[in-house]
Amino acid sequence: MAASIIAGAGLERYYTMRTQPAPRPSGEPAAWADAPVEDLDGGLCEVRLHVGGLTCAACAWVTERVVLALPGVVEARVSPATGRARVSWDPARVDLDAICGRIAGIGYRPRGVAAAATPDRDLLLRFGVAAFCAMNVMLLSAGLYAGWFSGIAPREAALLRWTALAIATPAALWSAAPLLRGAGMALLGGAISVDLPVSVGVIAMYTHGVWSTIRGEDGWLDSMTMLIALLLGGRVLEQGGRRRAVEAAQALAGTAPAIARRTTAMGVERVPASQLARGDRLLVALGEQVAADGVVRSGRARVQMALVTGESRPRAVEPGDRVVAGAIVDDGSVEIEVEATGPDTLVARMAAELERAADRPAAPGIADRLAPAFTVGTLLIAALALALRGPGETIAVLVVACPCALALAAPLSTAAGLGAAARRGLLVRSGDALRRLAAVNLVAFDKTGTLTVGEPVVLDADPKVLRIAAALARKSAHPVSRALVTAASQRGVALADATDVVETVGMGLDGIVDGTLWSLRRGESGVVVEGLGAILMRDAPRPDVAQTVAGLRALGLRVALISGDASDVAQAIGAGAGVDEVIAPARPEEKVAWIRARRAEGHRVLFVGDGVNDGPALAEANVGIAMADGAASSVLVADAVLVGEGLAPVLAGLRVAMAADRATRAGVVRALVYNALAVTAAFAGFVNPLVAAVLMPISSLTAILGARRVGA
Amino acid sequence: MSALLLLLPVSVALGATFAFLFLRAARQGQFDEVDDEASRILED
Repeated sequence: MAASIIAGAGLERYYTMRTQPAPRPSGEPAAWADAPVEDLDGGLCEVRLHVGGLTCAACAWVTERVVLALPGVVEARVSPATGRARVSWDPARVDLDAICGRIAGIGYRPRGVAAAATPDRDLLLRFGVAAFCAMNVMLLSAGLYAGWFSGIAPREAALLRWTALAIATPAALWSAAPLLRGAGMALLGGAISVDLPVSVGVIAMYTHGVWSTIRGEDGWLDSMTMLIALLLGGRVLEQGGRRRAVEAAQALAGTAPAIARRTTAMGVERVPASQLARGDRLLVALGEQVAADGVVRSGRARVQMALVTGESRPRAVEPGDRVVAGAIVDDGSVEIEVEATGPDTLVARMAAELERAADRPAAPGIADRLAPAFTVGTLLIAALALALRGPGETIAVLVVACPCALALAAPLSTAAGLGAAARRGLLVRSGDALRRLAAVNLVAFDKTGTLTVGEPVVLDADPKVLRIAAALARKSAHPVSRALVTAASQRGVALADATDVVETVGMGLDGIVDGTLWSLRRGESGVVVEGLGAILMRDAPRPDVAQTVAGLRALGLRVALISGDASDVAQAIGAGAGVDEVIAPARPEEKVAWIRARRAEGHRVLFVGDGVNDGPALAEANVGIAMADGAASSVLVADAVLVGEGLAPVLAGLRVAMAADRATRAGVVRALVYNALAVTAAFAGFVNPLVAAVLMPISSLTAILGARRVGA
Repeated sequence: MSALLLLLPVSVALGATFAFLFLRAARQGQFDEVDDEASRILED
């Protein structure tokens, strides 16, 4: 209901605006100018956009309707979760400018999406084809195997074999192409990846399949198609994480507005954000977004900088304070002097960093490290079989040595681990990060916002004082005010009514309670109601800190607390949490130095932090975990993000990572044992296509079942 | 043998139909944003 009201409002706004051209500064290329337009069948065009400013599902809905209302638009889909849109249209009737202009006209910001972030449908298509081939070839082979026992006419067998070959061919030549290419590229680069023994197996099985079909014998095509389908399925699972990181970067880059109001000697002019220069003065009024990083020169305002500080409540700024591009003015208005624009702004740098991180290649997994020895071993045994036994045994060796379970063990366990960790509240960015998390042996926590909630709670208060303070605080959204009201209701202090409450930014509250004017001000350690008394407040530890620390220590990890706070405060919190070591006070660069020193000693460090200044420490540690409600800059450099109130997900995530690591290792050992046994049997001539068709899926199935246990 | 000659093409054609439908759906982007449909139902 609410959504349809908003949508109705949005659509009405569109009708009033449709006589106007899209609001776009002349001479400036539009943000969507570089959007890659694809030509579809039937003369249609399709484009992928990122739409900035979508804050809810209804916004996406409105955008969709508005675009669909344009004559000539065939389809429009806007994702409320990622802000990505896909539009297809008839180029004879409408163009990209009109579509994007319409979206911009209702207040959102369409931009072209880099090709890298368009989902990789290719792999999914190849997997789909391989799965179809595998199922059908297996069905046909079942008929052939049945013929072994009950007899089969040569003509019928030939029919089944040729049909199977026809169906298996697209799987071998098209679906398996990424595997073959991966092996080839690695080999050209002088490396042997796990794709190589797989490719050798696929090539052996397919050429033998063609040969045996011509000669009227049974081949290994069923095993081959099954193997290709399983391996591609593992890859489809794997690619999800990387895409998500790129999407996050694009959502971030879309947060800064495209147009700013600049003050000049002549007055105020509207200019595209890209034409701003250092030293320009910008006016930002209520409801507007800051277009560049800068310093407030005049005016006072409350701004929302959730993106950078992680503080979703508005923060008061006054002359001299810094604001960043993308910040939204909630109250008041300010004039700012520009310090950085475009790609130099904090959001743009964070987005670039995130995109780079997504492109960074992961460390080679255990399967790739084993691949060289494995490949050489397999080829040696195959050569030996050719010399001592015969071509049949040689093919059988190459077929059963194909390390499907080995190649699947890590991706499946990792995918299961990522999912299990996410369900427990720890969003791990990549499989690589999960593997590093499993190897951690030292955990360092930041204090404020990490071990503690980062918000004050009332420790001790006289009910009389609290009654007045809470009455005033009820009219304010400041964290201290909220804590006072909560404390009052928890202690059963009846809330009085305050009138004429005035909140002065950075000062406090004034108002009338019971006919008297009271002033609430910041005190030594808490707040003071002037002329009545003080209320003692302190940053509260998160509820499950002690349990989590105990759990981590039970896993054999060392736990440290690094804090920027004074030593006694940090020691008190550290003692309450039960950590092994407290390092305080430590400036951000000292935190980094401490982590670097521990790493040099051979420790593998996990750092959990949340602040803007924790970024370097998060990056320096082997694994960095940021709090979801922490600063966006820390969330971006972190390997994992913790969602929810407590710290328990750190412990749960570590356990999952360790379980995934154990599952991978166990899977690798099982795969190697299976291969050793199967190769021996093949060498001895005990393996025929039917045996392989049963053994190989069983081996892969154990890999899948082993991975499933990670999430249990 | 004559039954096989009929059933084999029929079953392969049936399988190929499903494969074709899957390919078409994937190419149209129906699997691009699989999490969206869940939030879409909240809108109406």
